[in-house]
Order: sequence, then C-alpha cells, then structure tokens
Amino acid sequence: MLAWLLAGLLLAEFLRLIGPLPVSHAHAFAVPAMLVCGFVVLSAWWACRRYPLVSTPPLKVLSGQIGVALQASAVWAVGSLLWELVLVRLGDSVVMRADILRNFGVLFLIGIPLYLLSAVVHYLVLAFEAAHEAERRVLESQVSTREAEVRALRAQLNPHFLFNSLNSINSLVGSDPEGARRMCEGLGDFLRRTLALAARDSVALSEELALVERYLAIEKVRFGERLGIERRVDESALGCRVPPLLLQPLVENAIKHGVSGRLEGGVVRIEARREGARLGIVVENPVDEDAPARAGAGVGLENVRRRLEAFGAEEARLDAVREPGVFRVLLTLPARDSETEGSRG
Amino acid sequence: MADAKTLRVLIVDDEAPARALVREYLGAHADIEVVGECANGFEAVKAVSEHAPDLMFLDVQMPKLTGFEVLELLDPAPAVVFCTAYDEFALKAFEVHAVDYLLKPFGRDRLAEALGRVRERLAASGAGTAAAVAPPETSATPAAPTAPSAAALSAAARAPGQFAERLMVRDGALVHVIPIEKLDYVEAQDDYVAIHAEGKSWLKHQTLAELEQSLDPARFVRVHRSYVVNVERIARIEPYAKDSRVAILHDGRELPVSRGGYQRLRERM
Repeated sequence: MLAWLLAGLLLAEFLRLIGPLPVSHAHAFAVPAMLVCGFVVLSAWWACRRYPLVSTPPLKVLSGQIGVALQASAVWAVGSLLWELVLVRLGDSVVMRADILRNFGVLFLIGIPLYLLSAVVHYLVLAFEAAHEAERRVLESQVSTREAEVRALRAQLNPHFLFNSLNSINSLVGSDPEGARRMCEGLGDFLRRTLALAARDSVALSEELALVERYLAIEKVRFGERLGIERRVDESALGCRVPPLLLQPLVENAIKHGVSGRLEGGVVRIEARREGARLGIVVENPVDEDAPARAGAGVGLENVRRRLEAFGAEEARLDAVREPGVFRVLLTLPARDSETEGSRG
Repeated sequence: MADAKTLRVLIVDDEAPARALVREYLGAHADIEVVGECANGFEAVKAVSEHAPDLMFLDVQMPKLTGFEVLELLDPAPAVVFCTAYDEFALKAFEVHAVDYLLKPFGRDRLAEALGRVRERLAASGAGTAAAVAPPETSATPAAPTAPSAAALSAAARAPGQFAERLMVRDGALVHVIPIEKLDYVEAQDDYVAIHAEGKSWLKHQTLAELEQSLDPARFVRVHRSYVVNVERIARIEPYAKDSRVAILHDGRELPVSRGGYQRLRERM
C-alpha cells in the first residue's frame, strides 16, 4: 500500500516533468490512479493460473499474458482518464485537453510493464507453492510408509497369538516338558526373526517362508491334527525380493478365519511361482460354509495391501477371492532378484 | 450343603492343550469330576444334555458355535467359567451371568479362585442351579438374583450393533444352524417361535418380539401379530377381506397381513 502511494507520488512528479501540470492536480490524479493500479495488476493471479508455466507452450504464455496486460492496462488508463475528467469538472485547476490525452497515453504505457512485473511475481509465488506442496507430499508418503511398517509389526505381534501360545506352553509344562521347551525356543525364534525382518526394506521370499514356517510350527501345537500345511514353492521364486512381513499375516488370517472355524480343520496352501517378470504368491484356506464373513479379515488384508504400496511396487497387487468353501489371496509382485536389488543399491 | 457335593465339570475348548491344562489343574481338586471334554460347540450342547454338568469351562471362539451361542442354546445352563485369550468379551460374559472369566494364560491359583466362586454361587442358589445367582461383582448387594434373559443371551451371541447372521435351534442334543438368508418366516406359538426355512420348521423357546429384535428390519418385516417374514420370499400381496390382506410366498404359502403389517411392508418395499 505504502509502496503504491510512493509510486503515485513518483508518477505525479514524472507527469509534471513531461508536461505543465499544477502540482495539486498531478497529485490528486496520480496517487489514486496508482493505488487502483495496485488492484488491477492483481488480475495476474487469475492469468497465471490460466497459463501455468509447466504445462503451457512458452509462446502461448507470452501471447496470453501480453493480451491480458494490454486489457488490464487499457482498463486502468480509461478508468484514470475518467477520474481526471471528474477532477477537471470539479474545477480544482485548469488542464489542457492535450495534457489529459498525454496522461492517458503515459498511463497506458506504464501499465503494461507494471502488469508484466506482477505476472512474474505471481509465477514465482506459484512456483514456490508448488515446491512446498511437493515437499509436503514426499514427507507424507514417508510417514505413511513408516505407519504401514508399524502397523504390520503390530499386527505381527498379535497379542492373542502370544496369549494362546503361552497357554499352550503352560499346558505342555505339565504333560510334555520337553515339548514346552521346544515351543519356548520356537516362539523366541519367531519373535526374533520378526523383529529382524521388520527392520529391513525388503527380504528374500525364502526368508519370509522361513518365518511362516516358524509360525506354523507354533500354531500346529495349538491345533494339532486339525491344521494341515501344503507348500508348493518354485526354486526360482525363492530369491525374489518382497516386503518384509508380507506372508505371515496372510497365513495367520487363513488359520484364524478359515481352518480354526471348521470342525474338521483344514489345509493351508502356500504357493509361489515365478512367471517371467512376475512373482505370483497364493495363500489359500478352506472356510466354513455356514460362517458369516468376518469383518476382521478385511483389516489384515488392508495391512498387506499397504505393505505392497509402501514397497513402492506400482505393479504389485492383492486379489482376495471367496469361492464356495475356499478363501484365496493372490499376490502379484514384480520379480526382483537379490542381485538386481544390490545393483540398484 | 453344596460344599460337600462333588462338582461335575465339562471342559469345552477347541484346542487340545488348553483342555489338557484345565484337566490337569482340576486334578488337584478331589471334589471335582470331569465328565467330558468337547472340542466345539455342537459337542458341548450334546454333552450338557447328556451329562447335565454343574459347571462348564467354556472357550469363546470355537468352530461353528461360539461359547455365547452355546449358552443361548442351553436351558437351563450349568454354571459357566469362560476361558479365553480375549479380554473384550468380559462384559458380555457377565451379562450372561458367567461366574468367572479366566484370561489365558492363567495359573492354578486363578482356576482355584474361580472354583471357589462357583461353589459360593451354588451354595447361595441352594437348589444347585447356578444360573440364578448374580455375578460376583454385584453379589455384595442384596439385589434379587435373576437368570439372564433370553434376549440378553441372544444379544451376547451376536457382535455388538449387528443383526443375527444365523439362528441356532436345538433339537434334543442336535443343533441346527440356520443362516439368516435361508429363513422364510417365523411364526409365534405361545412361548415358542416356529422357524420356517428350506421347507422345514423348528421350534425355539423364545418370543417373537425377542427374535424380531435380532433380525435386520430391512430384510424381515412383522406383517402380523404372529408373523415375521423374509421380504425376499414374498411373491405378491392380495386383498383378503375388508382391511386385511394375505402375503403369498414364492413357494405358494399364504401368511396373513394385518393393516399395520401392510404399512410396514410398503415402507420397506
């Protein structure tokens, strides 16, 4: 505001320099005109959004902005002309018609660079905002990656799994002390592996399968004959990189919502196959026909889906299929080997 | 007088090690007789009607029937001590008047404490029907002990805020599970309801109003004082007499529709 006021005084001096004008008239004319100019050049805000620098060809930006500059300047100069006529009519001083026309021309010519200056400033502000926004988005995605990891870890260390396992150990202490020791060892090993894998960005599928193996050994104590396991894993798939803690939640779901809900139990099937540039993983379990779809299963799957997203694999996907008597989760990931991962490094 | 009596106990848990643990702990108590072990809710319902135990150690999450669904089917039910790794069912457990709630893993002493509570309750009820005593938290107050209502039992058997996904009916020692989508209609018969599904019907000791509460009002409409019908089963509605109509189901059966029932139907359809 103050800047525009000073600019108004400057303009008044300038107009007096190029033509004989009474001081009072020059000030009464130029200062309000300049203040109005301050508002008129704000039209660049709209024009800069209409012609964004990134997505518009330079020639179009130039022609577009010059067009707006001419219009804005014309509007300003005409407005000022009317103001000057009002001042003359009010009769504060005598001004020649030629002077009025000259003032009009000067204002029109000054208005164009002033507008263009404003456009440049607006473009700068927009660029700054865009950079800020991009930075915020990167931070957000980092936070959501961390959140997904924390969530996966929390899901992994499902307290009910621990409570039930401790109860099994408690029972074995009386009937089979050697078995109780084995289970303590197995549980410790499982927890240690979980924490170690969670700290990494990616792990080999073989490591994930080893973790699942430990998990199933513990659950086998609880469920006994009711829990069967079937694995079909291609040799070539074992080296593929996957997000850590991807499979175990799926296997846990398969037991919790599938096998454990059936009187006769059932078999959890785990399949992994490499097909060209893709790694396909299937976790399948039988479900009780009468059992209603449980809400809890969705949360587990959503966690795994987030793990895939956080892994940064855009081609990665998770499909869950419920067929009569069977629930199946299919994971598709890009097949990245340990070697290529190293070179990406 | 109940102190001297031997307690007859049933252990219900789908995990063998969990059953073995309870049996082992109970072995230290001379006045306890384990009459059976059950690995699921169906077996439990059958075993209760065969052995009429005084006390049941009951897991919550089991195949086919949850512990709460088992209780809903038992009338009268023995005294119940829940054993589970989940603490979120504790409130429900006391709503259905469970004597105690053991969180896995639990020790010998905790189980002994639960047995003490069971004996107290059996002694207080005198006749030996534990279900007629208030839960331990409220036992200090002289409030009149009451058995849990059928509505409380069936509400406990469902997830909170949800409608029933299935109905359980007991036929002697057999349990029928009727998925809600197979239900055609329900008919009031004095203190019972007749549940009609897939061309068969079962009687259940429950009032129609109680059952109606557990059903999704978007799918089941009370068309008459004595009838609640699955809206999907209605083929058409025809006038019957002045002010009354008849609903004709897809299988040709006809149900009376009252004036109020017709209004409720029109709102839903």
